[in-house]
Amino acid sequence: MSKEKAMTETMTSRERVLKLFQGQATDRPPCFSGMGNVTTEGLNQLQYKFAKVHLDEFQMAETAVTTHKLFGFDACVVPFDLCAEAEALGAKINTYPDSEDLLYPTIKEKVIHSEDDMDITIPRDVSERGRVPLVCKAITLAKQALKDDVCIGSYVLGPFTLAGQIMELNDLLKLSFKKPDRVGKLLEALTCVIVAVAKAYEKAGVDYLTVREMGATSDVLSPRVFKNLILPHLKSIFEQISVPSVIHICGKTNDIVVPMMETGASAISVDQKNNVADTRKKLGDSALIFGNYDPYNVLVSGTPEQVKETMTKCLDDGVSAVWPGCDIWPTVPPENFKSMMETVREYRR
Amino acid sequence: MATEERKKEILAKLRTAVIEYDEDSAKEGAQEALDEEIYANDAIFDGLVSGMQEVGRLFEAEEYFVPEMLMCADALYAGLDILKPHVEQLDLGVKGSVVIGTVEGDVHDIGKNIVKMMFDVAGFTVYDLGRDVPLDKFIDEQLRTDSELVCLSAMMTTTMVGMQKVIADLKKKNPNVKIMIGGAPVSGDIAEKWGADGYADDATNALADAIKMVSSLKQLKEEAEAKAKDNP
Repeated sequence: MSKEKAMTETMTSRERVLKLFQGQATDRPPCFSGMGNVTTEGLNQLQYKFAKVHLDEFQMAETAVTTHKLFGFDACVVPFDLCAEAEALGAKINTYPDSEDLLYPTIKEKVIHSEDDMDITIPRDVSERGRVPLVCKAITLAKQALKDDVCIGSYVLGPFTLAGQIMELNDLLKLSFKKPDRVGKLLEALTCVIVAVAKAYEKAGVDYLTVREMGATSDVLSPRVFKNLILPHLKSIFEQISVPSVIHICGKTNDIVVPMMETGASAISVDQKNNVADTRKKLGDSALIFGNYDPYNVLVSGTPEQVKETMTKCLDDGVSAVWPGCDIWPTVPPENFKSMMETVREYRR
Repeated sequence: MATEERKKEILAKLRTAVIEYDEDSAKEGAQEALDEEIYANDAIFDGLVSGMQEVGRLFEAEEYFVPEMLMCADALYAGLDILKPHVEQLDLGVKGSVVIGTVEGDVHDIGKNIVKMMFDVAGFTVYDLGRDVPLDKFIDEQLRTDSELVCLSAMMTTTMVGMQKVIADLKKKNPNVKIMIGGAPVSGDIAEKWGADGYADDATNALADAIKMVSSLKQLKEEAEAKAKDNP
């Protein structure tokens, strides 16, 4: 194993990921993520409770770095939940402090309660509200902990997904059809919020950013609505992000991979529902396509052999980096994580 | 009593109202059906549900997406609210009550609401626990209502895992209860592994499954009616 490692690994995780984003060759395919990848292994080692790591920058950073330290994962990502932007806009969250199960924080109180509330004013200091400063501190702490060996990633929501968090998704979806102008105006306001948060993360030292716009999946919205209503705002966001960037949409995406690339993101991220071989054909050799293994049904509940098969297939299909279709579910068995890392180390194109 | 031709016209109006998500027209059609003494059951199944079946097809063909489906559902409910008080309860030999909800940690309820709609249509008593429902509550509610069906929904991988516990607990306390799980991350493998009786991994499947369930009820209804005719 160590011999194999010495033979194939001539770069640090950080160099590998940065080279990838620059479109240059890497010693082996990177295996990383732009989404949450905290593991129960890491939590147990630190004896931290999942419900608490979202609320403390030290615990958040310490937990985040364990995935690289334990398994050699090629990146470290904070935060772990999806509520930071909505919270900065005044939504109340639930971290389920009393639950024994692993539950991610959710929004318990929305910001917009009816169509009439949709003209929201964005506070000027939005990036200093809620847990945004806490995440910024965690980014800086994680960077200090991993020095120059590993890239620190973070993520923001896309405007449509964020809109679905601060108002009833039901209403948002119907209005996106009945009153697209109204929704467009809201998305424009939320674009400012997302850019402000992204800028704060950049200032804190983040190396790359993922914009998670899963609300716009073709399982829910037509490609036409995606192009007309959402794409312009995503373009505006990526224009203003200076670090390498990724657009992530899960579910059905084969019909929108071209507009996803047109957002201006450095790379696109898709999940197991995407036919990557087709996507590769459509986007050409130089496009960065990240994906597309099922983080639960393969990585958590599969066998190490199934993990190996799946990762090999992702690479054979043409992903530029092995990357999960969603957050990594924390209870991933260590032998599966190891099998994933071994597969990318041994992979030959 | 409406002529056969007029009946067809009204049923077509209800069907089209659902497909074209026209709530006003659905209300109008439902009122006309009542005024002209068309059976509420027929107006629901051969009008509204027939429209929803076409919506399911349009969804599968990717002509309709979730926003359209939600608007169609609104039209269906607009008609159903008027017709429901006039539905004749059929003795189908099934008890017809269901506990439904989205599991704790998940605040998405669109898929759940679509499935709920079909149970409403079928005349089930629906105990809707809403979203972000603590796992124990499913078990308490099933025991309290003695429902024979429990539907659990989760939109995200990160919330789906809790279902496993509920299924095991429910089956332990009541081995006869049927459990259906639904949501984007759910698969046939997971349903089988966790011991669920059915699953739906997207709105199309949820709708298709719910329609299948309702259609089999419709068949039972026709059989019951035929039987009643034969043995007056």
